[in-house]
Amino acid sequence: MIQPLLEAGWLSAILPEIILSAGGMLLILLTAFSPRSRGITGPLAVIIFIATTWAENLVGEGVYFGGTYEISAITRVFDLTFLLAGILAALFAREYLEREGIEGGEFYALLLWGTVGMMMMAKGLDLLIVVLGLEILSVCIFVLLGYHRRLPVSNEASLKYFLMGAFATGFILYGTALFYGASRSTNITEMAKYFATADASNPLLTVAFILLMSGFGFKLALAPFHPWAPDVYQGAPTPVAGWLSVAPKAATLIVLARLLYAMAPVMAKTHWVTMLATLSVLSMIIGNSVAIVQRDLKRMLAYSGIAHVGYMMIAMLTISDESIAAIAVYTIVYALMNIGAFGVVSMLAKNQNDPQTLDDIAGLGFRRPFYGLGLAVCMFSLSGLPPTGGFISKFYVFRTAIESGHTGVALIGILTSIISVYYYLRVVYYLYMKEAPDGTAVPIGGVFATGALAISVIGILIIGIFPTPLFNMAGNAARQFLQH
Amino acid sequence: MPILSTVLWLPIVAALVLGFFPRQAAGAIKGFGFAASLITFLLSLGIVSGFKEGVAGYQLVELAPWIPQWGISYSLGVDGISLWLVMLTTLLTPVVLLSSWNAIHKYPKEYVISFLVMEAAMIGVFLATDLVLFYIFFELTLIPMYLVIGVWGGKNRIYAAIKFFIFTVTGSLLMLLGIIYIGFQYMHATGRPSFAIADLYGVGVTPYAQTLLFFAFSLAFAIKVPLFPLHTWLPDAHVEAPTGGSIILAGVTLKMGTYGFLRLVLPYFPDASIEYAPLFIALSVIGIVYGALVAWVQPDMKKLVAYSSVSHLGFCVLGIFAMNQASIEGSILQMVNHGLSTGALFLLVGVLYERRHTRMLADYGGIAHTMPLYTTFFVIAMLSSVGLPGLNGFVGEFLILSGSFQTAPIATTIASTGVILAAIYLLWLVQRVFFGPITLEENRKIPEIAWNEVAALVPLIILMVWIGVHPNTFLRKMSPSVKQLLAVVKSEDRGKVMFANARPGANSTHAEKGGAR
Repeated sequence: MIQPLLEAGWLSAILPEIILSAGGMLLILLTAFSPRSRGITGPLAVIIFIATTWAENLVGEGVYFGGTYEISAITRVFDLTFLLAGILAALFAREYLEREGIEGGEFYALLLWGTVGMMMMAKGLDLLIVVLGLEILSVCIFVLLGYHRRLPVSNEASLKYFLMGAFATGFILYGTALFYGASRSTNITEMAKYFATADASNPLLTVAFILLMSGFGFKLALAPFHPWAPDVYQGAPTPVAGWLSVAPKAATLIVLARLLYAMAPVMAKTHWVTMLATLSVLSMIIGNSVAIVQRDLKRMLAYSGIAHVGYMMIAMLTISDESIAAIAVYTIVYALMNIGAFGVVSMLAKNQNDPQTLDDIAGLGFRRPFYGLGLAVCMFSLSGLPPTGGFISKFYVFRTAIESGHTGVALIGILTSIISVYYYLRVVYYLYMKEAPDGTAVPIGGVFATGALAISVIGILIIGIFPTPLFNMAGNAARQFLQH
Repeated sequence: MPILSTVLWLPIVAALVLGFFPRQAAGAIKGFGFAASLITFLLSLGIVSGFKEGVAGYQLVELAPWIPQWGISYSLGVDGISLWLVMLTTLLTPVVLLSSWNAIHKYPKEYVISFLVMEAAMIGVFLATDLVLFYIFFELTLIPMYLVIGVWGGKNRIYAAIKFFIFTVTGSLLMLLGIIYIGFQYMHATGRPSFAIADLYGVGVTPYAQTLLFFAFSLAFAIKVPLFPLHTWLPDAHVEAPTGGSIILAGVTLKMGTYGFLRLVLPYFPDASIEYAPLFIALSVIGIVYGALVAWVQPDMKKLVAYSSVSHLGFCVLGIFAMNQASIEGSILQMVNHGLSTGALFLLVGVLYERRHTRMLADYGGIAHTMPLYTTFFVIAMLSSVGLPGLNGFVGEFLILSGSFQTAPIATTIASTGVILAAIYLLWLVQRVFFGPITLEENRKIPEIAWNEVAALVPLIILMVWIGVHPNTFLRKMSPSVKQLLAVVKSEDRGKVMFANARPGANSTHAEKGGAR
């Protein structure tokens, strides 16, 4: 029997995506027809994000569009991560764009549409849907990176990401094509059936896996596919860099979790896990050790991001309900702490073409106590010290690693995080122990950026101290995810 | 009212309230912080009065689930090992805030907040009966101490603060991996997740894993103590830290290391502890003699006291690894003694530094004439540190040495030279600073010790005499717990206690191990 292409209830199933897409168009039209209303596009975007968050509750779980689009508890958790990242980025961007004189509805529209792309990636059961989502996301990122169009660095960032990203997408497509050749389907559910009985010694599969991992590795900024990240983050408008360092990674990770789970029977018979472990170890080592020599805050955060993806990959080595829950928790915490950290950097009032170095935050802890404290909390959380969410999520990841027998990788993770403490601590040192040279500009942040930082700080501490509700949500969602 | 939670959280609440004080109101900030820590101390007296003698296990227990999925709970308790360390913490914090009343001019609000947060974290370390909770508080002490050294410290403070942080975090992160591993082993064996410290006693791991875990935990605590050759962060941190930071660092945070050995390392890894005890005894003896010798040649008073800490803490570790009733009781008492006497010495050195802005021995001489009251306090604190009979230091060192002599006679003989050396370098310090003729004009009119400093010192002096004259007040509360600890470490069939509800598969490896022994 041929399945109907549009199942009943499909419209409400993609309600979040519809709200976001329509909202983006509304913002663009608003700026086009009423240029004076630029100022309200930021708050409007936040309202649209919040409306979408509310709409997540109305969506019925199930599989739609001929088995290509899954809505379940875990996609909801990841949707919330994307929305959280979007809200924080929009709040930090509001005053940043105003200060730089480049405010406009397009910016927020691209954020909204990028979120749609990520939602498609997270929900896609078919690799083609995933690629489609990825492309929607990538196009938005290209434009967002170059949004500060009069700045050479911003253009450079955009071009770099575009060229490298185009290659990455090519790899992913090629890998998909090879898997299609082997399994006669691009649908992950169908592919899982094939993998259950597949001949693991078939070199085609390994080639396809490597191609796919190269592409996704690029999107995740996993070493050795990472060199774009520092340049791109440095040149990007700072709120965009924060968003880019978190949300697309979360979307890619859930896609990867789906794929790796489907491939589990083959992975048990091949060395693919070793490859993944190598990527993870390389990322942790390269990210953490190169971050030490960075004086530019955005470059430092880029390398720290590379290391953090390495930690997240530890959980991906063996896919279980625990590891998926660990990833979900980690990405939410990472969204709070990393966008928060980039947010404080975005408030530094200086020529955006120049690097924003450690010297720019000297003495911030006493000049602007709340921003200093916010950045310090983000740093302690990034380094995984209690009582922050960063500690809880790192604990979760290492716990899954020990349970699944990857103690060696966990040990490297621990050793590299000792290194990481040094450079995170150096930020705190600049915040509180370094006198600001005369004439250093005081960071400018209005009510939006301050509010966003407050969300970050409170979120980090609440997750660090009362993690149980989040664990329950992520754990239940992950168990459902693996049941079918 | 749950007394332990109240004592634990009161400083945090006070710190949060302080966050809303205006920056200019320095007097109000200091007053509020001192009042909060004083109330915490008074409340903590309720722990002593509620503590039942003759009970070995945890008392005044509080238990609430925290992360039930992983078996982590918010559980607090106090026993004979931790009781006096908690009291030491609650006593020293008001002492610090009182004594630095006039010494802190830069950012008083952040200073007081840091100390209150640190107090809560240190109390948490001693009260936690859940391994993860313990770890969280253990790490939490780092952040305020880092800030205290780095913001209010001396010239070379940044280097010292970062060195302190990196050293400590290196050990504790490896311990974290060990904690997760032990918790996993327990869950594997019993099918029930738990991180309660008592639950995990005697978790059966392979001898190889036990050795690795033993070193992961020991490294964390050996750095904290600090045990030779991991002590290099300590002189830097002490010299650069402000007086208050030094008092807390020497007085309490070092004890978190020795406490960790007692609470976790010995009972968790008894086989490895017994096997490697000679190593730790050797290192502690080296530390005792080396610390004393280096202290002897220091031209800087604060550095001298810092190296004397290395030496004195060596006695504590010696007592712990000698593993008998007297030596461990002496070790716990010595932790408290060291907190009192070295705390007082750091405070007094700070007093002098405030007035003359130098800590060099050569810059003083004959100030007993100008500061007679100060000199009296200093001599008492010094004698307590030396171990004069009648004061506290004697009791602790005597117990340690007499206990250790039964198990490690040669090491103990060498260690006892540390007592003699302590007398030499401290008496020498006193002689050069206080007695003799006044050589420098500046030393003719140094203002005498102030009321707040006297008020901070008096309770310490009283306790020094009390412990020296009637140590039984303190010892009899700790002995049942120490006895139980030794029973856990030395019992031949400790595995059975743990594996009463274990699965058969998990039990077999342990049985084999028992048979081989």
